[in-house]
Amino acid sequence: MELLIKNGFVFDPINGINSEKMDIAIKNGKIVDSIQEKNAKVIDASGLTVMPGGVDIHSHIAGGEVNAGRLLRPEDHVKDVERKTAITRSGVGYSIPSTFTTGYRYSRMGYTTIMNPSMSPLEAKHTHEELSDIPMVDKASYPLLGDWWFVLEYLQKGDLEECARHIAWMMETVKGYAIKIVNPGGLESWGFGRNVHSIDDRVPGFDVTPREIICGLCKVNKMLNLPHTIHLHTNNLGVPGNYATTLETMKCLEDLAGDDKPVAHITHLQFSSYKGRDWRTMKSGAEEIANYVNNHSHLTMDMGQVIFTDTTTMTADGPFQFNLYNLTGHKWVNHDVETETSGGIVPFRYRRKNVVNATQWSIGLELALLIKDPWKIFLTTDHPNGGPFTAYPKIIAWLISKKARMATLKRTHPKAIKRSILSSIDREMSLYEIAVVTRGGTSKALGLKHKGHLGVGADGDVAIYDLNPESIDLPTDYKVVRKAFSRAKYTIKGGQVLVKDGEVLQEMYGKTMWLNVETDEPCRIPEEMKTKFRDYWTVEFDNYPVSDHYLRSQSPITVKASI
Amino acid sequence: MIVLTPLRKFQFPVMAECISPDVFQGKSRDEIASLTVYEGNRRKKLGNLFKIEKESAENLKITIKGDVNEVRRIGSGMKSGEIMVFGNVGMHLGHKMEGGKITVHGDVDGWAGSEMKGGLIEIQGNAGNYLASPYRGSSVGMRGGRIVVSGNIGTDSGASMQKGVIKIHGKAGHFLGFRMRGGVIHVEKDVGDRAGACMTGGKIVVSGSLESILPTFTIDKMKPKVKIDQNEKVTGPFYVFLGDRSENGKGKLFASKAANPHLSSFEKLL
Amino acid sequence: MTIVKSVTCPVCGCLCDDIELVVEDGKVEEVKNGCAICESKFIGYRGEHRVLKPKIRQNGKLVDTTLQEAVKKSAEILANANYPILYGWSSTSCEAQRVGVELAEEVGGVLDNTAVVCHGPSILGIQEVGIPSCTLGQVRHRADLVIYWGCDPWSAHPRHVERYTTFAEGRFEGSEWKGYLQKFKAAAGRKKIKRVMKQAPVKNPPSIEPVTPSEPPQKMKKDGRKLIVVDVRRTMTAEVADYFIQVEPNKDYELMEALRALVRDQELDVNSVAGISVECLEELVDIMIGCNFGIIFFGLGLTMSAGKFRNIDVAISLTRDLNMRTKFAIMPMRGHFNVTGSNTVFTWQTGYPFGVDFSLGYPRYNPGETTSVDVLLRRESDAALVIASDPVANFPKKAVQHLVKNPLIVIDPHMNATSLMADVVFPSAFVGIEVGGTAYRMDHVPLPLKKVVDPPEGVLSDKEILNRILEETRKIKLKQVEAA
Ligand code: SF4
Ligand SMILES: [Zn+2]
Repeated sequence: MELLIKNGFVFDPINGINSEKMDIAIKNGKIVDSIQEKNAKVIDASGLTVMPGGVDIHSHIAGGEVNAGRLLRPEDHVKDVERKTAITRSGVGYSIPSTFTTGYRYSRMGYTTIMNPSMSPLEAKHTHEELSDIPMVDKASYPLLGDWWFVLEYLQKGDLEECARHIAWMMETVKGYAIKIVNPGGLESWGFGRNVHSIDDRVPGFDVTPREIICGLCKVNKMLNLPHTIHLHTNNLGVPGNYATTLETMKCLEDLAGDDKPVAHITHLQFSSYKGRDWRTMKSGAEEIANYVNNHSHLTMDMGQVIFTDTTTMTADGPFQFNLYNLTGHKWVNHDVETETSGGIVPFRYRRKNVVNATQWSIGLELALLIKDPWKIFLTTDHPNGGPFTAYPKIIAWLISKKARMATLKRTHPKAIKRSILSSIDREMSLYEIAVVTRGGTSKALGLKHKGHLGVGADGDVAIYDLNPESIDLPTDYKVVRKAFSRAKYTIKGGQVLVKDGEVLQEMYGKTMWLNVETDEPCRIPEEMKTKFRDYWTVEFDNYPVSDHYLRSQSPITVKASI
Repeated sequence: MIVLTPLRKFQFPVMAECISPDVFQGKSRDEIASLTVYEGNRRKKLGNLFKIEKESAENLKITIKGDVNEVRRIGSGMKSGEIMVFGNVGMHLGHKMEGGKITVHGDVDGWAGSEMKGGLIEIQGNAGNYLASPYRGSSVGMRGGRIVVSGNIGTDSGASMQKGVIKIHGKAGHFLGFRMRGGVIHVEKDVGDRAGACMTGGKIVVSGSLESILPTFTIDKMKPKVKIDQNEKVTGPFYVFLGDRSENGKGKLFASKAANPHLSSFEKLL
Repeated sequence: MTIVKSVTCPVCGCLCDDIELVVEDGKVEEVKNGCAICESKFIGYRGEHRVLKPKIRQNGKLVDTTLQEAVKKSAEILANANYPILYGWSSTSCEAQRVGVELAEEVGGVLDNTAVVCHGPSILGIQEVGIPSCTLGQVRHRADLVIYWGCDPWSAHPRHVERYTTFAEGRFEGSEWKGYLQKFKAAAGRKKIKRVMKQAPVKNPPSIEPVTPSEPPQKMKKDGRKLIVVDVRRTMTAEVADYFIQVEPNKDYELMEALRALVRDQELDVNSVAGISVECLEELVDIMIGCNFGIIFFGLGLTMSAGKFRNIDVAISLTRDLNMRTKFAIMPMRGHFNVTGSNTVFTWQTGYPFGVDFSLGYPRYNPGETTSVDVLLRRESDAALVIASDPVANFPKKAVQHLVKNPLIVIDPHMNATSLMADVVFPSAFVGIEVGGTAYRMDHVPLPLKKVVDPPEGVLSDKEILNRILEETRKIKLKQVEAA
């Protein structure tokens, strides 16, 4: 099928296109130079905004953790249901939507690619089964590898090459896309109820430190030439005063940045940017972090913006979730996974009138606005940790309009305004910058060559929004912008119109992307693994890998490693 | 006044949150008859299931004549007006009720008065399990209003209660006032096991016999009388227990001395 | 002859995946590594009377029919039902369960699994307070205190102790099997004597078992892993435990509450709880707080004793409290090999683990209201599809009466009590033997099920049968919409 999108205002930051009136042609699912109009379905986009399909770099949508959250919260679902239609399956929201609903809701907002950032390798089949049940989007998943015993052991030995080979084996085995590191060293310590508190603490039972894990895996990532950098959730996340740890973490990676390319992605940065000694004195550390980031180029980040709502927090950071449970007394799920990782879930309501929550809200926005280069920090809520992804349009409104920010800020706890400098920030993002933080920038950071742009050869993933950049004044009409981004005029995936006016027209299952890492030396891993397997895990070697059976439709990406 | 008479006995669950004075308000008979209800998995109109008579111009009063055991969510979210039922009623009666009055001359099924915030529910017969209790996974209990039951109630009632009054003239089943945080529950007759488990606040007053007391309650004192609300005090004497210590709780459990000779051993601890 | 390795055992929630099978002439001839139940499944299933053709009820009798007829009849039943029940699911693959959800949604039915009669209360408890848990390997590597509460792995999950807990060799904790082996043998011997005594016509047989110890024995002070059993009766697992606590029937709740208060350093007004002295409880609490990694496994003894889901609520709350002092986890001992899988699949597709009511066009969940047994007891349903389970044998009598009164479709490899009462019967292939798929272990670890032999000719998998019924139902529904 051929599709021609005519006369829209195109925003395609990767190709430097900023609000140009032009046509976009799609043939066989890919963007092409031009097509014959008479053979094509034509969408008249005059007066509309055209962007590449949204690319989310960090959103927990599938897997054991997410599903445990769903099971935990029937009270979250009853308030938000989706009826079955002739086209779509039924489901529930709110903060942890069921799989089908997740796909539809992303698609309705014009998103076409979602990265699921946390997958325990042992339970990877589960993640992939769920991803296969999420329609409308392409997706991928990051295996949790920072506290994997093999990594700890090889780093302890200082054998980076062997460590790299194991990671390569793992990527292929569990069909992963990037190295996810969560509270390095902390998760192994949590096995016996402990934690690490600085990047130089020793991990109990292993002679390594978080610093060594981070740097080691960063080097490994380079050796393997993975498309994305390491994806890092810092130590001391969610602890007042943690901005110092975050800065130290950022600094320890400086030397590893040879060329100008980023070497690490620090995720949901908001949760790692707190000053103060305790919750009473907690305030924003965004300025310090932003200053550092503005002077360095080896990092990318995402916001982890907080929304004032009732949501469900879930991370692999077991000790952090435990602290949150202690703080709130809420329901608490902990799930430690043998030899690999841990995890926890706590429902949480961010309240406007709570000074800490209001400050957290400010910090996310401060970071996005104080970090000058939008190619460095992207829009996320760390769904569902800061709030559900369906709140993205609200965040867009805050980013493009000081008026919108101040309207919300005024309704928060009166002391919050003094704990950050948000009220003094005048920057208002343009639609071009919004296109960077929601698709261009994320796709570039992820190394997704065919996503996040509309150049020839890119995937035919396009979002069209009911916004006329010529006639609208973004900062004043932020409500219009918010509405436009919550209901895409059209969402097009692989050249197919999936959504029109916010309604799903057809259901389509996207592909699961994963890395097939080719190393020079033939892989000896399986032999060694086989002998160790029964000692480390409680399942058989043969039953560990994610076979093709678990992927409804896949798109392996071959990577040539330099080892 | 609107009078609803079921046209037949229903086999399948009927979801009828539309039966509420606030919804009927300002509607003609025909408009009311075409309100949506579900019977099992079929979408129907209210008029398909009930004979609907309009007896006066205003719709603030609704009378249901006959058993509607399978009809659920009557008076859901109701804020004003009155519903009278002459017969038995299904689950979720007065769910999220905020005001007005519901009277049932018959029995009601489970979860009556769930998430209630205000108003009055009077049940002449018995009530089922989970009276005024939250739904699965939720800790939102009764937050205001008053429930009076002439007969007995089932188990797990008044869970997570925060405010309001529940008055039972008959007996109550086990786990009464589980995780209660505030409000008052008064039961005139006997109460089953584990009353007040995990309670952290509020009062449970048992005028009849209390089957057993949890080991995590501790005797505090004796009291001749206890206040239920502005208008009512009940006379004892009562043993007053504090609990639940497993939650470091400060709830109060009153048990009539006369009806509970098996608790007399606690007296020596006073 | 072929040897198939790393086969997952499709019997209990342990889901041991190290089974080796010797297959000859399309038959499993030998089973290695499995327990006795596993062996009898792989070898014994052949001995069962196997129905090979679908059946349909005609003039009150079940007679053979074609697959098409059976599918058509089933689709008619479901498409015309106002409130059908789709029940079972715990002994089939996740792949079939996924189709099942779609079918339930299509026909606006109540989708429910066997959790409703076993660990449903556990799920309700989890939904109240959460659950600090872990995978079984974590227990194997780290646990120095294992508590089995209201469950007897020795008989119901025979390899649980050996693979995952006290007898397993872990990174930080070693196996204790040597010390226990002696006791196992002695205990088995005692049981045998007891059995013989029972059969013998001797009046007042002499007591051969020691009564519950009033205080923890010395061995609780030993190093290494400790094993505690809490139960109403002295089970086989209790025989080998370092410490057996006999709780009065239906008093688990009180016992847990008392332990919670003690963990929080509260004083109790009473001297004993559930038949156990408070001093003894204090010792127990010390052991719990003193361990490095403790775990409670609980079974139907807890979920089905008085208090039901509140028992689980309090057990989890106790575990939560213990985490303030040390590391502690808790896990339900799930029975059927894939009951966890069906909870998992239902949850990701609908948000809810069991008792999902699609009658309003979207998933709704309220156990007590939307659970199959309750629906049947209130006589609300008008049709049912039962897959891979036998409710006629397990449900309360009144529920069964209503179930069999209405049109009933059964999909099962066996002819069981339920299929004998059915209107349509589909024989299906044995999941994990004749057809592959996925199952979830009790700790949520997904494992592949293998197809090791071919099913008898013409016998389809659950998934295929469901797919055909779904397809046919859609056709009828479409016609209904067009007609309206
Ligand atoms: S313990 Fe259970 S899963 Fe393991 S072999 Fe025995 S029956 Fe099979
Ligand atoms: Zn995250």
